[in-house]
Order: sequence, then C-alpha cells, then structure tokens
Amino acid sequence: MTLTAVAAAPDDLAVLDDPIEQQGSTRWETAPGGHRIAETSLVLGGMHCAACAGIIEAALAGVPGVERAEVSAAGQRAQVRWDPALTRLSAVVEAIRGAGYEAVPDGAAPARELRQGERRTALWRLFVASFCAMQIMMFATPGYVARGDEMAADLRQLLNWGSWLLSMPVLLFSAGPFFQGAWRSLRQRRMGMDVPVALGIAVSFVASSGATFDPAGVFGHEVYFDSLAMFVSFLLGARFLEMLARHRAAESLESALAALPETAQRLVADGVVETVSLQRLRPGDRVLVPLGASFPADGRLELGATQVDESLLTGESLPVARQVGDEVVGGSVNLGAPVRVRVERVGADTRHGAIVSLMREALTQRPALVRRADAWAGPFLWVVLLLAAVAGAVWSWIDPSRAIGVAVAVLIVTCPCALSLAVPSAMVAAAGALARRGVMLQRLDALEALAGMRRLFIDKTGTLTEDQASWVGTRLIDAAGRSAADVVPPNQVAAAIALARSSSHPLARALADAAPATAATVDWRQVHEVAGQGLEARDGQGRLWRLGSWSWVRPASTWPAPVTELPCVWFGAEGSELILRFDFDERLRADAAEAVAALTDDGVAMTLLSGDQPQRAERLAARLGITDVRAGATPQSKLAAVAEAQAAGQPVGMVGDGVNDAPVLAQADVSLAMGRGAMVARLHADAVIVSNRLGDVVLARRLALRMGQVMRQNLAWAAAYNLACVPLALAGWLPPWAAGLGMACSSLLVVANSLRLARV
Amino acid sequence: MDILYLLIPLSAVLVLGLIGLFGWALHRGQFDDLQREGERILDEGEAG
Repeated sequence: MTLTAVAAAPDDLAVLDDPIEQQGSTRWETAPGGHRIAETSLVLGGMHCAACAGIIEAALAGVPGVERAEVSAAGQRAQVRWDPALTRLSAVVEAIRGAGYEAVPDGAAPARELRQGERRTALWRLFVASFCAMQIMMFATPGYVARGDEMAADLRQLLNWGSWLLSMPVLLFSAGPFFQGAWRSLRQRRMGMDVPVALGIAVSFVASSGATFDPAGVFGHEVYFDSLAMFVSFLLGARFLEMLARHRAAESLESALAALPETAQRLVADGVVETVSLQRLRPGDRVLVPLGASFPADGRLELGATQVDESLLTGESLPVARQVGDEVVGGSVNLGAPVRVRVERVGADTRHGAIVSLMREALTQRPALVRRADAWAGPFLWVVLLLAAVAGAVWSWIDPSRAIGVAVAVLIVTCPCALSLAVPSAMVAAAGALARRGVMLQRLDALEALAGMRRLFIDKTGTLTEDQASWVGTRLIDAAGRSAADVVPPNQVAAAIALARSSSHPLARALADAAPATAATVDWRQVHEVAGQGLEARDGQGRLWRLGSWSWVRPASTWPAPVTELPCVWFGAEGSELILRFDFDERLRADAAEAVAALTDDGVAMTLLSGDQPQRAERLAARLGITDVRAGATPQSKLAAVAEAQAAGQPVGMVGDGVNDAPVLAQADVSLAMGRGAMVARLHADAVIVSNRLGDVVLARRLALRMGQVMRQNLAWAAAYNLACVPLALAGWLPPWAAGLGMACSSLLVVANSLRLARV
Repeated sequence: MDILYLLIPLSAVLVLGLIGLFGWALHRGQFDDLQREGERILDEGEAG
C-alpha cells in the first residue's frame, strides 16, 4: 500500500488524529490477524437526500485502509471501520469533504448505542406481547361465540392450554419491566403505578392458570389470558412511544453538540505555533487567541489589549476591556484584537469547570417531582384490595365455594389499564405538539411541573435580549467630549454606516445592520482596520476619517475618554472640531414584552435574574413591567434565590441561556434553555426552545395546563370505569369477554382524548 | 373436526416460530433504520 494516504493532514483536521480526541467516537478491536482495527462514528452534514448516503459510501470505499463504511441517511451518521496502519481518521474525514459533505466525530456515540439497545429491547418486548395477544385472541374467540354445548369440553381445554402456553412469553419476558418497577417501588417503600399493574397481571395469570388446569377448582373456569396479553401490549405500546419521544429530543440535542474538537494554538519554545487539542493544554502554556475565537482556558493576557464578551459566563451584556496582566476567562470570546495568553488553569479548575460542578450539585438537590399517576396509585391499590377482601368475605358467608373466584374477578376488572395509560398518553401527545413548534422536551414529566409553576425566573442577556446590540442614538460632540447638539448631519451618519460595513466588529455590525444597504454615499478609499481601535479611511477629497474608540478618533486630545453609560463608537475627520457619537444598547427579543405580559396575565410571578449591572437590568425590567429584579447575581447567588423561592413552597421555573444559568436550570422545578444558549445549559434543561421565541414559553405553559386537564379527565374516566365494573364483578355478573371489551374500549377512549393535545 | 386437535397446537408452535424469526431480524439491526433500507433499492451501482 502506498504511503500517500498517511501523508500529513490539513491543519484543522490534524487534531482528529490525536488519540485523546478519538476516545469518545472510536472503538478499537483486534482483528484475527493481530493488528488493530478502529471503528469510528461520524456525524455528517450537508446531506439533503437519500442518494447522498450512497455517494458518501462510495467516497469512503475509495480510501485505502477503509474496510467498511455504512451511512445512515435518516440519522445523518456514518460508521467507518478503518485500519490505523494504512490510513488516519483525518484522511477519512477529508474523503467525505472531498465528496462535498461535512463530517465531524460523533462524541455521543456511546449514548446512541445505549439508546439503540434500549429501542431494540422495547420493540422486541412489544412485538412478543402483541403477536402473542393476537393469537391468544384467536384461541379465545370460539369460547365467546359458541353457545351452550356447541363446543366439546376437551376442545375448550385444548384452546385454554394453547392460550396458557402463549401467555408465558408475555408474562415472563414482555411484562418484565412492570414487575421490576413494582419490586423497586416496594423496596423503596413508595407507591408507583407499577404496583397495581403488576398485581393485576399476576392475579389474572394465576387465576386463569388455575381455571385452565383445574376447571372445578377455587378459581372457577373463566380464563382471562386474552385480557392479560392485550393489557400488557397496550401498556408496552404507550411506553414505546414515550421512549421514542425521549430519544428524539436527545438526538436533536446531540446533533447540535457535534463539532470538530476544539483546538488551541500553543506557542512552542522557539516561537513556532502548533495546533493542539484543548485537552493537551497545561498551566504555564502560552497560547495565541485570534480575533473572534474563544479563550481556551483561564489565564492572563501577556501581549495585546482587547475586549472580551463574557455574556455567557457572567451575564454581563456588553464587551469588557482587558489589558496586559488582566485575567481572561475560558469560554469568553475575544472581540478586540489577537492576543497572547498565559494559561493559568485548565479543565475542571477553570471558572467554566466550577460552574459545571455547581450545576451537578444542584441536579442532585433538585426537589423530586411526584408524578400525578403515581400519586393516584397508592389510594387506588388500597381501595381495590379492600374491595376484593370485602367481596371475598361476603361471598364466603353466602357461598364459600365462589369466594375466591369473586375476589379474583374484582382484582382483574380493576386492573388499571386505562389508569396507567392516562398520564403517559397525554404527555406523549403534548410533547409531540411542542416538538413541532420547536420546543424539545428532554424530560416529559417537566410538563406537569410547568403547569404547576407559580414563579418564573428569567435571565436577561441572551434570553430576554438578543445576542447583538442595537444602535439607539447619535449625538454631535465637541472637543471636550460634551454634547454639542442633538441635530446630527445625516450625510455624516450615512458615511459612518458605509464605513462600518467593512468591519466585522460587533458594534460596527450593529451599525451596518441598522440601515438598509443603500448605495454608498461616500466612496471610501484606503480603508484600514486596526484591531481593538477602529477603522480609518479617506474620502473623495483625500481627507482622513476615523471610526472607533475615543483615543482612536481623537489621538491628540488631552481630554480623557468621556464616561458613558452605554457603549459607543466615535466618528470624525482628522482635525475637525465636532465629532459624532453613536450609542448602542441591548435589543429586546421581538416577542419579549408580549410573552412577559401573557405570563403575568396567566398568574405567573416574574423575576428578572441577571448577572449584569443593576442599572441596566432595572432599566430593562421597567420596560417590560417586571418589578422583581435581582441584578449583579453570580451563579451561586442565582442558585440561592431559586432555592429560597422553593423553600417558600413556590414551584419555580427558569428560562436561561448562559453557562452561568446552568446551575439554576438544574435546581429549578422546571427549566427551559434557549436554543442559541451555551451547550451546558441546553444539556441539562428540561426543555430546549430551539425556535428561540419567548412566546413559546407561554405556549408551552398553556399546553401543559391543557394537558393537566386532559390527564384529569382521563384519570376520572378510568376510575369511573373501574368503579362501575366492581359492583358487577361483586355480583358475579361480569363475564371475561365483557371485562376484556370494557378494558380495551376505555383504553382507546383515554388515548383518543389525549390525542386532542396533538393539535396546538 | 378432529383435525383441530392437530391444528391448534400447530398454530401455537407456528406463532413461537414467527416470533423467533422476528427476533432474529430485530437483533441483526434490520429495524434500526427503516428509511435507509427502503431507499437502498433506488441506489445506483449497488448489486442486489
């Protein structure tokens, strides 16, 4: 084999060949020949149709050293087996890029394998239960349609034996999760829905087996195998749908998570720069941080001055200036100029790492959510047991030979099929409706908490406001930095906007975005940008104009830079007396005011919880009509505020986006993260608002309230059905076919009622 | 009607056999990505 395939990889892909980065996505095996084989899973991008899968498979097959490649179009993933002696992972990814697609290693591969196993097992259980149920119903039909002595007793016996045989896999394998769940609840001494379900299944089976093998015995001659198998397959079907909804949410989050491994540009002793994996950084390393990149670790500036955006970490809405010797925080974004940083802390020791560990702690302290169905399970079980006992006692007095048979019939007709479908079916329908709106639920139970929420904590930067600032005003300023006039020359404003278009600085972008792209009024020449300072250019007459910081526009001024509350940008010609000042402020999301008003109307108390400076937070709260403001909050004090509200007995919700919100999102009873937010916040929120619309919070809460209503209707119906059947069973008037039919109809009714939620 | 004494046990055995067949297909991963398998027939250059 040639060596060309093992040639050096392009710069950005080289990090893929670092074993430390391959841990998550690659599995190693030893082939029969003794050499090692790697199997890597990749997340693909740019696939738009099924034929793409074939193209990528063909491209991979052309790489020497690739043994097998399987592409899944629906999952947008590839599974590649390759020989490390002949090729590298970077060459595999390059081949996919060469075919016109994007590929990154799939760090979530172990989680997905786990999900696949879970899905297979659930489908297997469901299939066994429903297939056996079908055949058992076939066996049961002759017993229902035959009249009097039309059917020979030994034939009836044979059919019962057949039903018993086919019930075994249902009982021993398919119903396993219910018995396990019931055993777990009993061991922990708390009641769950699984306990009455398991009891119903066990009693039906024991009674029917008794009737099969000893028709003259204590259990009577009625068999309930068909009800039992149908009941188990209905419940498994509901659980399967619930699992699919959960998996879908996890998958959509993972595809957002997939990215090329993060790298840092480390300076080696003799001035050479090498690109290394973030995990290889050590304290004391010197790294170069280019403009627009995020800082790889906590450290101190060694060379250069810049502005950094720390909004995700602290909630501070505006870029802050950093000079040589100042600390910079890993995860913040470098906006001003390329700088050199000396790394001081890496990994778990960084500020980011500290917030993540605070979040983990909060997760374990979160108040346990009581599921409504489980709250019903206890009383239900006791009532049923009591009724059965009373029935048995009464009949042992009337006719002792029928006492056990009647008690068993009571237990069977009260088997909580509809009751245990009531809650999951409503949740799955509501979660599906929300997913179509762009709200992905990661925990289905969160809907119940959302409906019960009394207070909503809401973050400011990035949640109520957009990521980018907006231009709010312009003033004419004299040499001393005092305001000279409110009237500004419009042609100069237009000229500044035209100049701003040639920069990618966030404030320049905000200025350029504010005005439509009209024909350039000024023909700028020799446009030149100095990072961290501003832009300069010459107009048609050759006059030099500058746009940027005070010291850049007024280099000769003896006046210090005027103190302004809002961030601003200056613009003026060389030597001119008057210059322009452009003011910027945060921009509210389009539907923020409407959403806050709607939530307040719905009776939810709102609290603004921000890490930003108090006056900015208060001004924004006043605009939205929020009276309760906690500004300048650290992740710890945010957590304390939420815990305090919870201690006062209020169910608390939180909407946030930043790393600093993550601990609070973990602690709150229900948490929602913005789709553009930090990964750690999205990973641990109950729901992710992928649409980034705050209005969807209102919508989700209203849907959750409707879901509560539907759930109550379902539970009431199921309870009413069970109670109505009990007197019939007590009187000994309920034949098994009627019990089975009633059970099926009430389950279908509950499911149909839940499906009303799927329409938003 | 004596044939029923043979057919009923036979049908039970048949059901167990079919379940076994489905289990084999499921655990070989044939139901993991239904969409891709359905579209494979439209691919060019793939035998079968």
